[in-house]
Amino acid sequence: MRKSSVASLMAIAVVLAVLTSSSKPGLGQAQSQAREICSPHEGRCLTIRPPNLPPPPANWSMPRTREGKPDFTGVYAGAGFNHQVGRNDTDTPIIRGFDGKIMPPTKAGGDAILYRPVTGKMEIDDPIGLCLPYGFTSQIFSPYAQQWIQSDKWLVIRHEFMNNFSRAIPLDGRPHKQDLDLTWGGDSIGHWEGDTLVIDTVGLKEWWLDNPHPKGSLWHSDAAHVIERVKWIGPNLVSYDVTMDDPKIWTKPWTEQFHMVLHPTWDLLEYVCKENDRCSGGHCVESDAQKK
Amino acid sequence: MTRKILALITTTVNLLTITVPLIAHHSESAQFDVSKPIKVTGVVKKVEWMNPHIWFYVDVKDDKGNMTTWGFSGLPPGMAIRKGFTKETLQIGETVVVQGFRAKDGSNNASGNILTFSDGRQVFPGALEVGTVPSNKP
Repeated sequence: MRKSSVASLMAIAVVLAVLTSSSKPGLGQAQSQAREICSPHEGRCLTIRPPNLPPPPANWSMPRTREGKPDFTGVYAGAGFNHQVGRNDTDTPIIRGFDGKIMPPTKAGGDAILYRPVTGKMEIDDPIGLCLPYGFTSQIFSPYAQQWIQSDKWLVIRHEFMNNFSRAIPLDGRPHKQDLDLTWGGDSIGHWEGDTLVIDTVGLKEWWLDNPHPKGSLWHSDAAHVIERVKWIGPNLVSYDVTMDDPKIWTKPWTEQFHMVLHPTWDLLEYVCKENDRCSGGHCVESDAQKK
Repeated sequence: MTRKILALITTTVNLLTITVPLIAHHSESAQFDVSKPIKVTGVVKKVEWMNPHIWFYVDVKDDKGNMTTWGFSGLPPGMAIRKGFTKETLQIGETVVVQGFRAKDGSNNASGNILTFSDGRQVFPGALEVGTVPSNKP
């Protein structure tokens, strides 16, 4: 199907309120401007505000471990938030995906991997509706908290969503495993480039790229190679860049920049998808409250 | 939606055009029918503060006095809490207006996209719009 046809047929991809562009000054030019992101196939655009955090004071220094490395331990709102920190340490979860304006052209056949119009099969249209894992890279956009636990040799990222999905990332310089079984989390290894933590991930099962879209879904292939670059840029504020290299889909790698905000008062909540999944697939179970 | 359909349901259960996007990370479109918007006024009977989404139940009385308990799917607890919408925000016995979309199976369940309290305060327990989160109970 031609892209123009797809665009005309598919409404809306990611959601959000359209937000205004004001923010507190001082985060630097790149971070002080609101920017519009657009889904690549369903045409919905939305405005992402810069984090409303104050500029770093002159004497600010990033948290460091006993070994002197930047320390990312804490509970964060990641890229699934439009970071507007409010009273009582609240933030703004949103539904968004990667910005289609950043993505390079797809290769021949790449678009068919990338975009899957609704099929009627839950495994394709809404696997998380079956309580299957969100996986990586979708997990980047989960509008839930995530807990980073760091030692000198390991980084563990615990996501609240889905079913407290976790990634354990060695920081000891080891290479990727050989003969990887493809998984939802893939094989991640980390290393330091100055004060930037670089996380390199391969071995991903072909799965959702980002959040659900009302009339289709975006997917990465099993050749996806993802590089995350993480760096403190202010009190409670971390820059989080994701480079997506998927040679089965795109003609070249591309990078999108995000923020993570540390929330000192947050704890990770337990998330059990089957706890009260009352209307899976549209078939609702009667609640006790509804029984006569 | 037509007056005929309206009459089939109740005078307090209204089918309206809702402009709130029906999109969630745990896809609501697989569970709810966007062609069947619904609006009810009733009294909160029960709140299930559980994953994957909060469910709250509203007793709705029709013009003949018949009571129907509607179930509404709201935000997941984790998302609600980060927005400042807590267990205490929605109290049993409170009169509310809820807008959403009916479940695909035709049961008395729906998405709870817009929740309006009797004093006009409004939250979006289901839709992921940035809504006005009530700061204090009246």
